[in-house]
Amino acid sequence: MEHLNTEILARLVDQTPQPEEAAHIAECEACSAELEAIRSQTDALRSLPEIRAPQGDWHGLEARLRSEGLMNDPGRFRRIGLAQTPGWMRAAAAAVLFLSGAGAGALLTSPEAPESLGDLAMPSSAATFATSTSVEAAATAVRVAEQNYVAAITRYQQLLISESGVEAGSDPMSRMAALEYLATVSQAAVRQAPGDPYLNGFLVSVLGEREATAQLVASRSNWY
Amino acid sequence: MKEISTGPSESQLIRLAADGDARAIRQLYDRYSPRVYAVVRRIAGDDDLAQDYAQEAWIRAIRALPTFRGDARFSTWLHRIAVNAALQALRKSETRKKREGPVPEQVPVAPRGGDALLQQRLERALDELPYGMRRVLILHDVEGYTHEEIGDTLGVTSGTSKSQLFKARAKMRDMLTALDGAAQESGAEAWSI
Repeated sequence: MEHLNTEILARLVDQTPQPEEAAHIAECEACSAELEAIRSQTDALRSLPEIRAPQGDWHGLEARLRSEGLMNDPGRFRRIGLAQTPGWMRAAAAAVLFLSGAGAGALLTSPEAPESLGDLAMPSSAATFATSTSVEAAATAVRVAEQNYVAAITRYQQLLISESGVEAGSDPMSRMAALEYLATVSQAAVRQAPGDPYLNGFLVSVLGEREATAQLVASRSNWY
Repeated sequence: MKEISTGPSESQLIRLAADGDARAIRQLYDRYSPRVYAVVRRIAGDDDLAQDYAQEAWIRAIRALPTFRGDARFSTWLHRIAVNAALQALRKSETRKKREGPVPEQVPVAPRGGDALLQQRLERALDELPYGMRRVLILHDVEGYTHEEIGDTLGVTSGTSKSQLFKARAKMRDMLTALDGAAQESGAEAWSI
């Protein structure tokens, strides 16, 4: 008697056998046992467990999510309700960021410099920022950038006060917002002048202050 | 899938994650990464490839989160993305990446009861299956897809899916029998179905 081949038996795991196949299995102990073995194999496959991802898998994903702009910093903005930050505040922050950028000088010193920037506009010496050819000139550019940076921050503070009518920093939420922006701007400044001790010191102070304020905010309201 | 009784609801997590919230994304990852990794690992048949595919699956999922409307369960939606990501990645490569070393004796498995030795051998046999058979066997017998769903996913007819499945089951049976015989010869604990 010829046995059923394994592929036929594999089909019979979840399909009804033809009459002749059923008759054979009823009579053939070997084929019946083999069919039972393939059924057990299939059941075992359905019960395979989940697999733990390797260590470090998350870190690689996290880095890529951040690099693609799909993930924000650990939720600070949302945690303290800054997702609803007014547009003017975002615009002010964007202006501060822009002014600290390497491309700012060229645009602001061009004849077509937008007047709408008004009080925030930087002096024309900022044009040397990205074109310095000597250490001395670069150091001068850094000092000018610092002054512009401080001026922009000061103006930003003034805008905060005048637009909101509330002294910025008078409560942990608005203080956190200001520090968040400062940290972002400071980081941009340090990227422009990575060896500058003043900018690095300023950044460290801002980050420390931001962390302390974040803890204060977290202690007042539980996220989730 | 086990639900977490405390903390934000899944829909809240999804909404936050869609907005890029790091903590929400991490929670979704912690909750579903074993399932995502399991399916891409089995399709890839290789640990290195599996890590790449899993990462690609998560990137696609997070990118697509704003479009998730909740018509299907999130786990099902994510699972489909993972399957498609892994299958597309495999298709892109002309040939499967050659293993440089021996086949791992065991994939790190999150214990869920059952026969650990049997699971190891099944995983090993799955890795050894030819790609065409393996993907159909995984989708049907492991993941519970219907032949019609497999046909849609792979771009083949349901008849082709069935044919591949029966070949795959038969091949698995042969390989498991061989593994069992080898284990008996070496004096190791044998597994027999």
